[in-house]
Amino acid sequence: MTLLEVRALDAFYGDFQALFGLSLDVEAGETVALIGANGAGKTTFLKCLVGLTSTKRGEIRFAGEPIAEQPAERISRLGLSLVPEGRLLFPSLTVEENLMMGALNQRPGSWTLARVYELFPILRERRRQKPEQLSGGQQHMVAIGRALMSNPKLLLCDEISLGLAPVVVDQIYESLGRIRAEGASIVLVEQDVKRAAGAADRVYCLLKGRVTLQGPARGMGLDQLSRAYFGA
Amino acid sequence: MIWVETIINGVLYGGLYGLLGVGLALIVGVMRVVNLSHGEFIVLSAFIGVSLVGAVPWVHPLVLLLPVALIAFVLGFGLQAVLVNRVVTRPDPFAAILLTFGVAVVMRNLMVEVFGADPRNLPAGRLAHASAGMFGLHVGVLPLLILGLSVVLFTCLQLIITRTKFGRIVRATADHRDIVRLMGVNPGRVYNVVMGLSLALASVAGMLLAIRLSFTPYSGVERLLVAFEVVVLGGLGTFWGAMLGGITLGVAELVGLKFDTNAGPLYAHLLFLAGVLLRPNGLFRVRT
Repeated sequence: MTLLEVRALDAFYGDFQALFGLSLDVEAGETVALIGANGAGKTTFLKCLVGLTSTKRGEIRFAGEPIAEQPAERISRLGLSLVPEGRLLFPSLTVEENLMMGALNQRPGSWTLARVYELFPILRERRRQKPEQLSGGQQHMVAIGRALMSNPKLLLCDEISLGLAPVVVDQIYESLGRIRAEGASIVLVEQDVKRAAGAADRVYCLLKGRVTLQGPARGMGLDQLSRAYFGA
Repeated sequence: MIWVETIINGVLYGGLYGLLGVGLALIVGVMRVVNLSHGEFIVLSAFIGVSLVGAVPWVHPLVLLLPVALIAFVLGFGLQAVLVNRVVTRPDPFAAILLTFGVAVVMRNLMVEVFGADPRNLPAGRLAHASAGMFGLHVGVLPLLILGLSVVLFTCLQLIITRTKFGRIVRATADHRDIVRLMGVNPGRVYNVVMGLSLALASVAGMLLAIRLSFTPYSGVERLLVAFEVVVLGGLGTFWGAMLGGITLGVAELVGLKFDTNAGPLYAHLLFLAGVLLRPNGLFRVRT
């Protein structure tokens, strides 16, 4: 079953067009990597999906329902969850309060506070602290946990390896495997091509707002990828 | 001894000033805008209070605080939902400032039209002049009650913001109003309730102040000035800071009045000026 269907999506910031006729599919249970350089339109694309960019045209269907015209508040209740770039945790809230914000829309499912603490045990120790007291990796864990608390059908991860030590990135990617095992589909936005392709079933490469390459992650040549990435 | 009494009365009076400002502190803290019609709503609550006292003279004015606060909550909710939410998400903060300034001007003139320009008072009967003796000091009963009520309201507000689910949503909305939408929260609805709370607190202060101080439809500017000074002195957007800011201003005013019977408030404003120059982040660094 196709969980997410995007057809001919254009997006704008004022006069500047950030996406050009972008089409993309995500099947249920699938992990899709979206790679591309800075300014390729990856974050804009995710913002379009969750409803934070309103100047767009095209078709977006999620679980069969058209969502392109719907406000972010409603889309989140359908089971679309974003781990935003730069985490954007709530600095006035404790770690646990941040996580509980994710559970506000009360979607039923297997992810609870206890399960998130099981996935990231360090967060249980830190649950009464403010995000700023945590390391970068731990803050990423809070952001992922917060997104999981709404029991998403599709988890959108924006640059979750940015600025982290390789060993921490390993941990985060390991957790993604366990999140998949619970049945969620994942869209992984990354600049780290190798890492993303290794974790994904399929890869889309974006260049200046257009899809320049798509296909199964397995067997995709690095030279082929880098040509799509840099447009050389 | 007379100085100790003055300072104690200043503290009691200052609790009321804190109450004038805390609603504004809430708005500044959560929405990052200033509500320039805050003072007019304080005056309007006093007019509503006076009208209610006239309508049901057998009910004590202090009991009427509750219905007036409820009316103010509804007015604040409406103001936010109908007007302020249209501009509050714009990147330019001047949109909200101009809008609420316009609201203030319209309200001021409507109040002149409806209530007339004569100075009014809220009669509180014997309570207004009753005093209690403690350790040889004479302290007004009403100011004591007022400070007590202020402390109770501040504590309630603090508990709501730090301990409840609603408070969590308010803090998160203040942090990132876009990101809470991803959790199903409509920031506009949060703002409606916050503006309602802000004006409900302001209305209590407005009624209590009207017992001590006469007011006209033009008094809103002075009320806003005090509220604004309280917020800035206390450190923008903090609650207990606002309370302490109010007390500081109250003491300065009454002590000033002792020196110079013509210009008590002048000393409070001078203190504010000195405070802004010396401690631009607020006298008290109390984070909520």
